[in-house]
Amino acid sequence: MRGRTPLLALRQVSRYFGAVEALVDVDLEVHAHEVVALVGDNGAGKSTLAQIVAGVLSPSSGQLEIDGEPVSIPSPSAANQLGVASVFQDLAVCENLDVTANVFLGQELRGRAGLLRDGDMETETRALLEHLTIRIPSVRTPLRHLSAGQRQAVAIARTLIGQPRIVVLDEPTAALSVAQTAEVLTHIQRLRELGLGVILISHNLNDVRAVSDRIEVLRHGRNNGSFPATAAHEEILAAITGAA
Amino acid sequence: MNAIDSVRDILTRNMRQSGIVIAFLAIVVLFAALNPNFLSPTNLTNIVLQYSYILILAIGMVMIIVAGQIDLSVGSVVALTGAVSAVVVIRQGMPWYVGVLAALVVGLLVGIWQGFWVAYVGIPGFIVTLAGMLLFRGLTFLVLDNKSLSPFGGTYYDIANGFLNGLLGGNGFDVFTLVIFGIAVVGFGVSQWRTRQGKIAYQQTVESMPLFVVKLVAVAAVVMWFGFQLSISRGLPIVLIILAVLIIAYTLVTQKSVFGRHVYAVGGNRHAAELSGVKVRKVNFWIFVNMGVLASVAGIVYSSRMNGAQPGAGNMFELDAIAACFIGGASTTGGVGRVGGAMIGGLIMAVMSNGMQLMGVPQSMQQVVKGLVLLLAVAFDIYNKRRASVLR
Repeated sequence: MRGRTPLLALRQVSRYFGAVEALVDVDLEVHAHEVVALVGDNGAGKSTLAQIVAGVLSPSSGQLEIDGEPVSIPSPSAANQLGVASVFQDLAVCENLDVTANVFLGQELRGRAGLLRDGDMETETRALLEHLTIRIPSVRTPLRHLSAGQRQAVAIARTLIGQPRIVVLDEPTAALSVAQTAEVLTHIQRLRELGLGVILISHNLNDVRAVSDRIEVLRHGRNNGSFPATAAHEEILAAITGAA
Repeated sequence: MNAIDSVRDILTRNMRQSGIVIAFLAIVVLFAALNPNFLSPTNLTNIVLQYSYILILAIGMVMIIVAGQIDLSVGSVVALTGAVSAVVVIRQGMPWYVGVLAALVVGLLVGIWQGFWVAYVGIPGFIVTLAGMLLFRGLTFLVLDNKSLSPFGGTYYDIANGFLNGLLGGNGFDVFTLVIFGIAVVGFGVSQWRTRQGKIAYQQTVESMPLFVVKLVAVAAVVMWFGFQLSISRGLPIVLIILAVLIIAYTLVTQKSVFGRHVYAVGGNRHAAELSGVKVRKVNFWIFVNMGVLASVAGIVYSSRMNGAQPGAGNMFELDAIAACFIGGASTTGGVGRVGGAMIGGLIMAVMSNGMQLMGVPQSMQQVVKGLVLLLAVAFDIYNKRRASVLR
């Protein structure tokens, strides 16, 4: 893994909210075919980092690189164009729209006269769900009729529209039951098999150790250690709480 | 799927939509039974003429409600645009189309004004349009110098009162009207057929063939009967043509265009829509611009029907338009509602008002009944939602 140009790299990235230091000189690298977990206590700066990569926030200082090239990501749609897709903490889907409409939201296929190509979008959605082994009764089901786990699966599926290379998942399992969490974790592994670089942000060390290749710890907005997924639970916990 | 299953499916799957159509038909049958004149050609024509402007307003209103906003100013905008048109045509003596154009421009400016405050300053639509309701009513009084202006006469008068009759001749009935209705029925049939074929191609469930045919024949029969009634009365009302074009155009915009999809997304989950790259401000801006323009169309139709402009015109129209949307299945929390539903909702209001007028029910009682219908329709909606969430 080492030595190659990383898909996404953060170099000395800082972000301040007034006098509050949310992130200070953080470094992070993500390669293709790799799930990097980002762990840390509440307020460690995990979500701030996710939002910077997703184009929701811009860094106060530091540099983002994609394929070794310096880039700036000023908006969520700019992130999409650079091949960065994200799923945020709070089930970011439209419950009144059906599965297809959610998957393609913001990136709809248009035909002649600018009308929606519903048929084509449905076919692609069905293929996509199959690809990720997501089971949903029909792509025409409005999301309010789906379980929380199925909704999160749709949110993950929608990241794959427009051929992204980097997927950021901010607490994708926070609102889910045990069984639903297991399902979402398999979807994450599918993303890695598809050759994507994944940043997984989570509170749950068990989830993280189950799917990630590398675990990066943030503490008070700073890097506080990098561990292989095989590292001992206590070791990672110590880095998170600063007990070491 | 056999016939009985699919009937049950249609009834239960979308209780809200089919419930409203059944309620509409029941009300029509009730009034037809109570008053023999209700289904007379003249009265059917009257219903179309009397409520066309509410239906036009409801088209724009349903998009605003779906996006999670509300517009309380449309009644005042109807008055203002009608007043401007009256000043241009009656006081200045300009041709009718200059009046129409002036009204449309005023509607556009009103929409831009309200859209700006809602979308780019971030003030809730409720407040912006409440201010607009007062603002534009006041401007109407200023424009008209507190006096009514009439009459328009001529072509302008024909917009809401004119008929296309005798273009293709006919003995006792208008052939042209029947031809137009025939084309509409065939067009409806073809589009339904293509939708069905499309669904089959994408392996979705469809109702069984006999039921599909029965449905088409029933719709065709009702529509052709309505067309025939018009054709033996005064022919095809011009307003009905305007209305039909608007309904078709806006059904396409809301159901088949990217903009329409984004309106639903903003109403469903504004935050998610924004993160997905939907330009929420733009959507909010354009729905209000659109409402302003549609309100000016309604203003033109109304001033033409009244053959003049009054300072108090269009009072409470906003409430009729909003009620039409909610009776037609729009959700109070946004994200749900259809142009077709709002049209049925508007027709329910129209048929009830007209029917009660024919029976000589006093105005006060009409208000009471309409208020109760609105309340029951929304209560039914909420009951259905609860049931659906329990079933899940």
